[in-house]
Amino acid sequence: MSEQQDWNALSDDQFRAVFRSWVEANCPTHLRFMRKQRPVFNEVSEWYHTLADKGWLSPLWPQEYGGMGLDAGKHIVYVEEWARLGCPRIPDHGIGLTGPLLIQYGTQAQKDFFLPRILSGEHVWCQGYSEPNAGSDLASLRTSARRDGDDFIVNGQKIWTTLAHCANWILLLVRTSTDETKRQKGITVLLVDMTTAGCTVRPIPNLRNEADFCEVFFDNVRVPAANVVGEVDQGWALAKAVLGHERIFLGAPSRPEYAIKRLERLAQDRGAFDDPGFVARYAKLRLDLYDLSAAFERFARVLRAGGVLGADVSVLKIFCSELYQRITEEMLTVAGEEARLWDDLHTGEGDVDAMNLYLDSRAPTIFGGSNEIQKGVLAKGVLGLPSSF
Amino acid sequence: MTGLILNDDDGDLALLRDSVAGFAQRHDGPATLRARRASGDDLDRASWAAMAEAGWLGVMLPEELGGAGLGHAEQSILCEALGQALITEPLAQLSVLSGALIAAAEPGAEPQRLAEGLMSGAAIVAPAWQGADGSTGPIVARSTPNGITLSGRISYVSAAKSATDFLVLAEENGQALLLSVPAISNGLKVAAHATLDGSQLATLTLEQVTVPTQAVLSRADAANAALEQAIAAARLAISAELVGIGTRAIEDTIAYTKERVQFGRPIAGFQVVQHRLVDMWADAEFAAASVSHAVEMQDEGESLERDLAVLAAKARAGDAAVTITRRALHLYGAMGFTDDCDIGLYMKRAVALNATLGQPETLRLQFVARERAAA
Repeated sequence: MSEQQDWNALSDDQFRAVFRSWVEANCPTHLRFMRKQRPVFNEVSEWYHTLADKGWLSPLWPQEYGGMGLDAGKHIVYVEEWARLGCPRIPDHGIGLTGPLLIQYGTQAQKDFFLPRILSGEHVWCQGYSEPNAGSDLASLRTSARRDGDDFIVNGQKIWTTLAHCANWILLLVRTSTDETKRQKGITVLLVDMTTAGCTVRPIPNLRNEADFCEVFFDNVRVPAANVVGEVDQGWALAKAVLGHERIFLGAPSRPEYAIKRLERLAQDRGAFDDPGFVARYAKLRLDLYDLSAAFERFARVLRAGGVLGADVSVLKIFCSELYQRITEEMLTVAGEEARLWDDLHTGEGDVDAMNLYLDSRAPTIFGGSNEIQKGVLAKGVLGLPSSF
Repeated sequence: MTGLILNDDDGDLALLRDSVAGFAQRHDGPATLRARRASGDDLDRASWAAMAEAGWLGVMLPEELGGAGLGHAEQSILCEALGQALITEPLAQLSVLSGALIAAAEPGAEPQRLAEGLMSGAAIVAPAWQGADGSTGPIVARSTPNGITLSGRISYVSAAKSATDFLVLAEENGQALLLSVPAISNGLKVAAHATLDGSQLATLTLEQVTVPTQAVLSRADAANAALEQAIAAARLAISAELVGIGTRAIEDTIAYTKERVQFGRPIAGFQVVQHRLVDMWADAEFAAASVSHAVEMQDEGESLERDLAVLAAKARAGDAAVTITRRALHLYGAMGFTDDCDIGLYMKRAVALNATLGQPETLRLQFVARERAAA
């Protein structure tokens, strides 16, 4: 039975203590600090169901829909503790994307049908946005949906679809009409059952030789018109609206924090702290992390005070992703000749997954809006510079 | 540009900012710097007197000594605003560092006299404690029947030509002493050198300078602790000033690149220029966050946390202001290479402050050494 309680009435420290002690007792040890960044549903389903039973699976959903109803400040605590305790990432597109979208824009029938199935794990969602020729320039997407009676017929291709191979539903951005003057018009949000005939998934091995993103093909896939979210042709605003305060987490210090602990372990074991050159480089990384925490706190404080994040929050994502990369690059420097090896490095204090982190750190400057896109947003939205050409 | 963000429930910090802006209307920073540079002076007396009148010289001095008894928040906001306006009188040295040394002295007539003089502007009290390598370089003290005799050489003394008193670090039989030494003492020589930021920095030579025992402000561990705390306070004040310099340099550069037209377009519209401006702005944001954090830590943190936060803030703010102004200068093109354009003065001031009381790498190494020793 899930708990109903007004978590926001607790202080941050009280909530942190409650959350931490329960997670420590209930998150299976073998799932902590997993090497894999994006495990598939079956690998972590035990943790998923435990959270769902407790009512703690969906921190942001209102309690009437089975969520915790956390405000942004409490949500920061939730995410921080989750990372600190090394809980595995669960397939969370249903919780973080489809759920909030339906709660805000869905019909009653859509909410009644989909939300409980997300919580039960019956529906595992993925996000069908990017296409081969629509990445940073998402509005140029071409996957089409043509009206046919009570249905839409979908044709096209999505790519870089994270965990599509273990999902059974996809939240799809499709083009329903073409407006030459404004490409953002004519885009619609569709909820698509991936078991429908004509939908095929092909995993793409990534740099780490893991399949965590895929291509998804649509060949005359028939989707009921009842699965449109919001208005036809008006999906662009919906797709943009979902990301609210969660943009702050793209710049959360947890990944570089984890990486620098591994760097310290490796450096200690290999005697690198006796090398003044290393110490100087380490000191730069250490203080970059220290100041990232100070900068993160500056934005977190806005949220705790009930404020809204501005475009300036992008600065965290740029700094954080680049710092993560620089830390992992230093790990390979310390590893010396061993940096040729694929497997984890052994130290007296435990293994260090240097190569794993080095490869993992290549992604964050690309995803969530590449750093160049973020700089464009900052140039216009914060510095007030004219449109670029 | 956001700059420092500190709790300001009663609006006092905003008022302080406004009063510096008003001051800058009457005492233009860049013009004052140029005039001081041309004259070879190490202090602009008119500005200094006006700053005394505004009550800015004893912000953190305790009320028992007649000071305002305010904290790092007020001091930082003041210094940030001075940095923005490029008002470059050596407040961090003559008010913050000297003030902290005076405040930590054993109570007596001498610290009282120094405090009053410092605040009114009647006394120019310059700290003198550095060796040629920048670290603490105590000179030799010897007790005699006539008092205490001092001999040695001290580097990097601000406003030495204008000073009425020096706060000198000495050592007798391995024990530290902080003493006040009148500038007119027999045997004391000042050799001043022009600085990058249009002022003068001096080396003091003391040959058998004798002062009375009442000149001792603090001794032994208390003297060392006083100096350490005073250095930290001055570093934080300089960090805030560097934040002000950086934010102003970006604002000016944005305005300039929006006006400067080439190829029929404002150069701020070129993506390569935009990304550089964003990088500069990001540096300023991180510096402001780091310095704000350090200011808060001074009231909230444990001793180690307080010290680490100041080391981080000075390193970050110094790096940021230097790289921001350097890149700003580049974006001004040939204009930036002229002495007429203020951006060059901002750059020079940033470089000079960055080199004051520890360059970034030195401070980062201290941070890591302290943190690892405590782990």
